[in-house]
Amino acid sequence: MIELFLVLVLIVVGFTFGVWAEQRHLASLASREAANGLFLVTQLKTFPGHSPGSQPPQIVVAETVVATDYFKTFLANLRGLFGGEVQSYHSLLSRARRETTQRLVEQAQQLGFDAICNLRLETADVGGSSASKKSAAMVAILGCATAYHFDCSNAGSR
Amino acid sequence: MIVTNTETIAGYHIAEIKGLVQGNTVRAKHAGRDIAASFKNLVGGELKGYTELLTESRRQAVERMLAQAEQLGANAVVNVRFTTSAVTAGAAELYAYGTAVTVQLS
Repeated sequence: MIELFLVLVLIVVGFTFGVWAEQRHLASLASREAANGLFLVTQLKTFPGHSPGSQPPQIVVAETVVATDYFKTFLANLRGLFGGEVQSYHSLLSRARRETTQRLVEQAQQLGFDAICNLRLETADVGGSSASKKSAAMVAILGCATAYHFDCSNAGSR
Repeated sequence: MIVTNTETIAGYHIAEIKGLVQGNTVRAKHAGRDIAASFKNLVGGELKGYTELLTESRRQAVERMLAQAEQLGANAVVNVRFTTSAVTAGAAELYAYGTAVTVQLS
């Protein structure tokens, strides 16, 4: 009985704080994405619109680890019984990817560049995420890209 | 040292290929971080401890890779890639590898 009560409390706590954390993160992402809307992000291997004679391109790397919450874990476990799309984890992954992309953009801006190309995002393994089944899921994303100077008048060139 | 994850570098041409350079590292966080992370997994949010762990590991792996490149006399590393693997709970292996080259302004 006590155990059941504890699980219920954890679900409520997980739901309240989880939704709050997620909303806050999504709001921050939305405002940053809007602010960086004009920053050119591509995953091309070439340098579209590179401005000649500028400082040499440079790699930027960023990583994000996002935690799940108890409510999401509970939903996912439930989904595991019936099968189907696990939507609670879907949002987790997309948040981590968007966050990583924004961090790359911000890093490039700090270094004085105005575009990034060859963006690569991959899921990283931090021990615990997949090493043991017992521990809760967490999503680690490692992203890297090459920052360079962009020239509007040269936009067609590669 | 110019480091990129593209195969070429805009504005430069590759004069000589020196070969593969690599660096890896396995790092762990202290148990306190792991405990904090398990609490964070109840309420959601970013796991700053593990983000930091990845950043530190990546910096160290890149440093080792660049040291190798310097030894080969390269002035750039192109096509850098990263991979991670979970060796054990709470530890992350990060492996960075790329091709050391010498480049010239074109």
